[in-house]
Amino acid sequence: MRLSNVVRLYRIRLRSRLVQEAFALAGIAIGVALLFASQVAASSLSGSVRQITGGIVGPMRLQLAARAPQGFSESLLGEVERLPGVSAALPVLELRVDLLGPAGGRTVDLLGADPRFAYLAGPLVRSFSTAQLAGLQALALPTPIARAIGVAPYEHVKLQIGSSAPSAAVGATIGAQDVGPLVDSPIALGPLRYVQLLSGMRGRVTNIFVRVRAGEDRQATSALARLAAARSLNLRPADFEATLFDQAAGPTNQSTLLFSAISALVGFLFAFNALLLTVAQRRGMVEDLRLDGYTSRMILEILLFDALALGLLASLVGLGFGELLSARLFNAKPGYLSLGFPVGTQRIVTWQSVALALLGGVLAATIGVFAPLRREMFAARAGAGAGAPLPARLRVLATIVLGVACLGVTTAILIAAPRDAIVGIVSLMVALLALLPVVVAGVVALLTRMRRFSSTVATHLAAIELRSRANRARALAVSATGAVAVFGSVAIQGAHANLQQGLDRLVRQLNASAQLLVIPPGEDNLLATTPFHPLKLAALRGVPGVHAVEPLRGSLLDYGNRRVWVIGAPAGQRAPVPPSQLLGGQLRTADTRLRAGGWAVISQALADEHHLRVGQSFLLPSPTPQRFRVAALITNLGWPPGAIILGAGDYARAWGSEDPSAYYVTLTPGVALTRVRAGLERVLGSRSGLVVESSRQRELRQRSASRQGLARLTEISWLVLIAAVLAMAAAMGSMIWQRRPQLADLKVDGFTRRQLWHALLLESAVLVGTGCTLGAAFGIFGQVLLSHALAVVTGFPVVFSTDASTALLSFLAVTAVAVAIVALPGHLAARARPAISLLE
Amino acid sequence: MLELRDVVKHYLVGDTERVRAVDGISLCVAPGELIALYGPSGSGKTTLLLLVAALLAPDSGAVLIDGQDLSQLNERRAARLRLHELGFVRQALHLMDSANVLDNAALKLLGTDLSVGAAHRRVTPILEQLGLGARLEHRAEQLSMGERQRVLIARALSTEPKLVLADEPTSSLDSARAHEVLELLGGICHERGTALLMVTHDPRAAAHADRVHSLRDGKLFEYAPTERSTALSSY
Repeated sequence: MRLSNVVRLYRIRLRSRLVQEAFALAGIAIGVALLFASQVAASSLSGSVRQITGGIVGPMRLQLAARAPQGFSESLLGEVERLPGVSAALPVLELRVDLLGPAGGRTVDLLGADPRFAYLAGPLVRSFSTAQLAGLQALALPTPIARAIGVAPYEHVKLQIGSSAPSAAVGATIGAQDVGPLVDSPIALGPLRYVQLLSGMRGRVTNIFVRVRAGEDRQATSALARLAAARSLNLRPADFEATLFDQAAGPTNQSTLLFSAISALVGFLFAFNALLLTVAQRRGMVEDLRLDGYTSRMILEILLFDALALGLLASLVGLGFGELLSARLFNAKPGYLSLGFPVGTQRIVTWQSVALALLGGVLAATIGVFAPLRREMFAARAGAGAGAPLPARLRVLATIVLGVACLGVTTAILIAAPRDAIVGIVSLMVALLALLPVVVAGVVALLTRMRRFSSTVATHLAAIELRSRANRARALAVSATGAVAVFGSVAIQGAHANLQQGLDRLVRQLNASAQLLVIPPGEDNLLATTPFHPLKLAALRGVPGVHAVEPLRGSLLDYGNRRVWVIGAPAGQRAPVPPSQLLGGQLRTADTRLRAGGWAVISQALADEHHLRVGQSFLLPSPTPQRFRVAALITNLGWPPGAIILGAGDYARAWGSEDPSAYYVTLTPGVALTRVRAGLERVLGSRSGLVVESSRQRELRQRSASRQGLARLTEISWLVLIAAVLAMAAAMGSMIWQRRPQLADLKVDGFTRRQLWHALLLESAVLVGTGCTLGAAFGIFGQVLLSHALAVVTGFPVVFSTDASTALLSFLAVTAVAVAIVALPGHLAARARPAISLLE
Repeated sequence: MLELRDVVKHYLVGDTERVRAVDGISLCVAPGELIALYGPSGSGKTTLLLLVAALLAPDSGAVLIDGQDLSQLNERRAARLRLHELGFVRQALHLMDSANVLDNAALKLLGTDLSVGAAHRRVTPILEQLGLGARLEHRAEQLSMGERQRVLIARALSTEPKLVLADEPTSSLDSARAHEVLELLGGICHERGTALLMVTHDPRAAAHADRVHSLRDGKLFEYAPTERSTALSSY
């Protein structure tokens, strides 16, 4: 067929089904948008860290990295430079600090760099001249950061480094014209000597980046490895930070992708249902064209054009909407990852994200257009020998078997392979859609029986309409839209609520051991990983109302490809292992073993990666490597790469330092917290650089961080609910509008407007009620499956609740909209003039 | 031009009951001849049309057009036959309401190699001949039932077929409009030498045909010209 003729046919037919086509387009576009936005969010997160790392290390190949924030002596630089194969070695002091200006604060990576970095390093550092790096006693800040905290060149900014808060001059700002997109990096640059001075770390560095002579890789690497082992340092690729970040961001990206994929499926089903509303028209068209001599191939071309036009247009709209979503909603970087990594605000769109979204949209439209017409498409000629359709009873039986089999598959995945949750959810949706017609038929049969006991016209009319073969596809489409809408909302909102509750419970338990904490201030210290010089405990213990003061030690440690959170639990802590986080081993035994020393409680994911079980031993790559035995297995304690709990004494030995990162303060029973707090603040004085924080305040801050971390999932779950409500409104509105001629017909036969409206209400209640109820039941199953998947895939603490409140909320929202649509436009449709019937 | 040889077509109703919709029918139609298949609902009229349109395969017997057995045609060649050799006039409801008269009439031609413009040029004189010259740009939903039926006749005739199949072409028209439409259809078919096979349960429609056959319980009976008017009026 000529393409121009296909286009003409498309245009002609489009006019008559524009509204339904728009609904289908919206459904696919929502799916495409969610997929695209989550892809962009994931690639932006990883890409920003990769860009920053590349911008700093440039052509450097390897690095020697400290295992503790205290770093190592820069005297090692000479040794490294003399190693065979090393052409250049550059020392860096890298610290996580808070920059505080008149307009606010920002957590940044403070980089103290050697002057030679100016010509050897990546583009970010090259923007500094050698002279600047050597001579200036000032910092350079990216323009957006300087603007955000309200400082300009030649002004001063306050730094919060652990418990000290020095002031530094801003020498220059780095603009986009200097470093391009790297301008969005959360960093501050300064000469090495100046940063050492500011941080009180004279003669210390945290990394030495190494450039290797061509062809001497092996020699240099083995010499560096020997040096690293002797000095308990890490030898790794220069851009290893990006690898660590990819691992850390993995759970967030995976959970976002999981939610997005399910939302996309829900969006596709909305589109499919919207297309089902026009299936009678399309069938009529196929039959007409066949009568007129169009071959199957020509009809295929026409329908393929339908699908391509719908798919491409929906994908483009989806990409636009996705772009908006990723820029406005999904742009929030997970704050908790900023505690351990320099996460920039760059938005990185890869061609793969665009291609995947486009392909997904076109595929969804193709399936949506062709699936309901497969029989008409391929029924070339109904001859005597042609495969006769299955008898009705067998068809119903086959559908039930399919539905039950799919439920079985989902149950098997829940029990044995929750990682494959997407397959399980698809299978659950198939089961829902397979069983829905059977359940609807059952309810309709029940209504028909009830007719005997009801004398109302509405019941009779509704029963007749619901049993009509001609309306079957449309009725099922409406019911399926309700079912999928409630299913998607319940599954996603429920799983999200379970994850949120799990994190809230964790935060509560982590902060239950002490009423007050003495801790360095700063947003980046939420995990209490910034060490400070020990205080004289006698003074703190002498404050009236203080029962006990114990040091908590903690830091982030690179272990394999993970930057894990290590906690040195105070010896007197009531429950060093949060009870709800235990995944393997005995809680009491684990507590006893931690206090005894030589034992560690580690995250399940970490244990899996290193093939460890309870009782087995492992070497912790701490500044002073120590061997520990696994006392128990826990969740990741909300820190995606995983966590390790040690006794405080073991921690001090492994880090070779008594420096605490917080003091836990417990109070004498009955004493007012505010009084003790004021007493502690008096003892600390204004020069300590430490603050007193109540466990409640800390809990609130951690909750806020976890909510921010889940922001994308929250937004997706709300989007699904909104999409569900809109889809329901669209489906109901469309159904009612299409019914106008029939309603007018009935008016000709003498039925009143009130009777018709009541019949419409009853019919809709049966369809929507059945769909939504079944959707809610399946949604709770989906919620359990998704919660298990989140726990297994991400290692996050999840509560396995089948709380029906989310299901009820979604059910009510969707049905309320459906009822509202029937109540208002339905009422108007029932007023259709009988003349419509006579005219048509 | 059209020949049916002892054609049989059965349907299975429920799990076991067989209905003989077409039960050993033989019929010959010459070029330019107007044949009416007249009978009540369920007599097998539409089944017979579908057999002639190669949309159903007979259980036994043969349907031949210009000597070619339709059961030997594959799906593609059967479609080609419908596109070029046959025209199908259905009931007036089968129009795309939001499309205009020209597009509706040219729908069949869009399946050929003609461009949209050429297709429009081809159907315009037919539409004018059918009295729709002033309504070419009107949407189908703005037309009366008689006008809609004429658009469908234009579509059926647009590829200059040898045989036009008409399925209850006057069922949704009043008697004056039905007469007008059938006069036009008959006139054009005679003028072009196109055969017309029309199924109808309307005796007034059947009266326009050269020959009238009655279909009852799947069997065909031909009325002699002398008994036609009596027989038709007895229904």
